[in-house]
Amino acid sequence: MKLAAYPAFTATAFQSRLAYRNQVWSGVFGELVFMFARIAIWTSVFSTVASDSVDGVTLPQMITYALLAGPVLYWDYSRLLRDVGTAVKSGDIAVYLLKPLLYPAYMLASHTGNFLFDLLTVTVPVAIIIGFTVGLVPPASLFHGLAFLAFWALSFGMLFLLTTILGLAAFWLMTADSLDWFFNSIMILFAGGIVPLWFFPDWLATIAGNLPFAWVSYYPAAIYIGQLDPSQALTAFIIGIVWFAVLLAVLLWLWAKARHRLIVQGG
Amino acid sequence: MARLHVVIPALVHTFIRSKTEYPGAMVLGWLSQFAAYGSMYTAISLILARFGSLGGWVWPEIALLLSFHLLAYSLGASLSFVQFREMEEKVRMGTMDAILVKPISTWTYVVFSGLNIGYAGHIVLALGLMGWSLTQVDVTWTIQSGLLFLGYLVSAAMIVAATMTMIGATALVWVKSNHLYQIFFGFWELARYPLNIFPLPLQILMLTFAPLAFMAYVPVAATLGKPVPLLGDWASAAALLSGPLVTLIAMAHWRWCLRNYQGAGG
Repeated sequence: MKLAAYPAFTATAFQSRLAYRNQVWSGVFGELVFMFARIAIWTSVFSTVASDSVDGVTLPQMITYALLAGPVLYWDYSRLLRDVGTAVKSGDIAVYLLKPLLYPAYMLASHTGNFLFDLLTVTVPVAIIIGFTVGLVPPASLFHGLAFLAFWALSFGMLFLLTTILGLAAFWLMTADSLDWFFNSIMILFAGGIVPLWFFPDWLATIAGNLPFAWVSYYPAAIYIGQLDPSQALTAFIIGIVWFAVLLAVLLWLWAKARHRLIVQGG
Repeated sequence: MARLHVVIPALVHTFIRSKTEYPGAMVLGWLSQFAAYGSMYTAISLILARFGSLGGWVWPEIALLLSFHLLAYSLGASLSFVQFREMEEKVRMGTMDAILVKPISTWTYVVFSGLNIGYAGHIVLALGLMGWSLTQVDVTWTIQSGLLFLGYLVSAAMIVAATMTMIGATALVWVKSNHLYQIFFGFWELARYPLNIFPLPLQILMLTFAPLAFMAYVPVAATLGKPVPLLGDWASAAALLSGPLVTLIAMAHWRWCLRNYQGAGG
């Protein structure tokens, strides 16, 4: 299939979400509650220290970090995992194999549409509400702002690859139900979405900082608020690209294996 | 009317057998949920390790709060969540009509034909963390305080089951109600932290219209002898009575929704 055809899947996924308007306002509510819980926690713990900043980070920066590392960067990967799991469980995956398309590329196009929908209808309104009610800080500098955009793209790709690799495990396990929970348990701790790595003990921060999960939330958000200087940001970006290439190779290898492993129940 | 002491064990037995048909998936589910909650609690403990306390609560007290929250939730949700989340589908597909004509209470059938044993991972983690935290907090245990603690737990589980029932029942009238679970889980998320860290309007909301503060914070604060905003000395009595009160409201709502059920077609 020609590359130009894939954006059609993105547009279709976006349009199909328009049919579920209740999910939009309940999604906004869910993310707002999530954010206000984080804001309350950080406000409470920052009030226990004498100085304005902790480890060089002020409360407004911490709130901005929480918004970026949570709703902005950590998009709803469960939908992708569920789609792959359902396709394998129901046997619909066989239909995709008959079509002249690369299934992982189709999933990428489709979930880019879902991501854009959530970004425009949920994340941006939540960011605006938080910005007006609590306040958000701008990027630490122009460099940090531009670097954040590059890291954001890398973050999206990284979370997509990690989720799809995990989803393909359904070809062997015949279920993806538990994988969501397992993946969530890893991401909660190692992506830095809840607690930034600079609050980790040194040994744990070193481990987490070198695993690919940190490129999903921690590095992009930390760069935005200026926790990494330009040389550190560049090094982190290069390592992130290497992880991206490794994960992409793993995905393509796994997909080649999975196609030949496919068993459709009853067939 | 069928004899409940025969029918309920039969319904539960049938459902458990259907789940144990896939033992690998079942155990994997328990382990994965255990890992996810364990990971979240580790993240919270990292904040406490760095800052010392959260709203005046130190780690063993927070651990008791988290474990109480998880145990109350899993006990209440095993009787309600998955069962009532499927209510929307039952209404839409018309299968609710078949349940309504069964010679057994509709609520009893819905709850016990889907009694969720998938919460075993939650319960094991909650009991383990609670066991550890109870040895660390400064509480003098007597038979009376032990019974009171169990009463708090039952009351908190009743709040969960009653709220889930109300959301599910709403589907009988609105057809769609699953988006309300997202709102429930929003307050559920807030309920696992000390209430005093939130702004006053949110504290009032969580003690009145969205009473999930009674799911963990109020009973645990009463156990630890910590001051409870707005309730003061009434915290213990309120923690005990909130569950039965929400249950009575849920019963009235359930009956009203059943009376006004017209199917998805109107």
